[in-house]
Amino acid sequence: MTTHRELAIAVATAFLLIVPTCSPAFAHTGSGSGGFVGGFLHPVFGPDHVVAMVAVGLWGAFLGPPAIWLLPIVFPLVMAGGGVLGILGVPLPGVEIGIAISAIVLGLMVALAARPPLWVAAVLVGAFAIFHGHAHGAELPPGTDAVAFSVGFVVATGLLHLTGIAFGLLARWPAGRVTVRAAGGAIALAGLAFLSGIG
Amino acid sequence: MSALVRGLLQPLMLPAHALALLAFGLLIGQQRVPWRLLALAAFVAGLAGGLAAIALAVGQTPAADVLLAAAGLAGLLVAIGRPPPALACVLLAAVAGMALGLDSPPEAISIAVATTMLIGTALGASLALALVVAGASYVGAQKWAAPRIGMRVLGSWIAASALLVLALRFARGQLF
Repeated sequence: MTTHRELAIAVATAFLLIVPTCSPAFAHTGSGSGGFVGGFLHPVFGPDHVVAMVAVGLWGAFLGPPAIWLLPIVFPLVMAGGGVLGILGVPLPGVEIGIAISAIVLGLMVALAARPPLWVAAVLVGAFAIFHGHAHGAELPPGTDAVAFSVGFVVATGLLHLTGIAFGLLARWPAGRVTVRAAGGAIALAGLAFLSGIG
Repeated sequence: MSALVRGLLQPLMLPAHALALLAFGLLIGQQRVPWRLLALAAFVAGLAGGLAAIALAVGQTPAADVLLAAAGLAGLLVAIGRPPPALACVLLAAVAGMALGLDSPPEAISIAVATTMLIGTALGASLALALVVAGASYVGAQKWAAPRIGMRVLGSWIAASALLVLALRFARGQLF
């Protein structure tokens, strides 16, 4: 197995990818506007959300069927549950920490090419989805077209998954596999940056 | 724009209505042929009933919330990938049709224009649903799994969106 060599290359590439992208405090800025576009832009303007969503897609693609489609189905459903908690004002401790950890853990899963049983992957992704949903649910702007905003929000999240899946399909080739694992490492490092307050 | 065209487009212009039509199109498209047609007919009958109630100046109803809840449930059933019992699907379609009709009061001054808009809404919603059902049943019959998976993903998005909106309405004290 070339796992260790791949991992070393992946980590090195990840550092090269992540260092130039570090910038101060940019998590969960939201878009502040309503309607479909506002909802669509909401997750896109939260880099911590973006990297975790892409990681879900990457990991799904890495695991192959049925995870490749099961994880992107599980995530929005559970995320909506978390969103309900956020909307109703039910407190959830450590939401931002949970989101940062989601990027770290999901990134590491990709970087390490982890292949747990499907139910473990689904539970892990679902657990993190609650944090993401809660954060966004609590930030839903008042006075918006709720349906259009929610649809935009969920579609953007789904498209981020699809982006991860599309990129993750590179793992079918040896060189692509290294690239995908490197991307996972970069996501884990980004999560570390969010957790430490650098990002 | 004529009253008929405004009525035709209304179900597509209102996000909640478009969401419900998509959800039920995907759900009904999963049913076998006789039940598929029956569910479609039940939706149209419910829609006609709802629009007739509007024409008879029925008062305020929780139709918008019922429609969203039904759309969310339909989306969830599509996402799960296991079609519900056919009769349950037919009943759910009738409820959704009724709710969509009741939630489509025409914005018109004269009775003639309002009636034309209601007819347009009935035609537009029925046609849109029939098109989605046809598309979903065509995709469902293909050997290639990807489009079927795409429909399930769509179902999960619809369910998630509906759940978020219902929670938001509840939090604002607007639910039912």
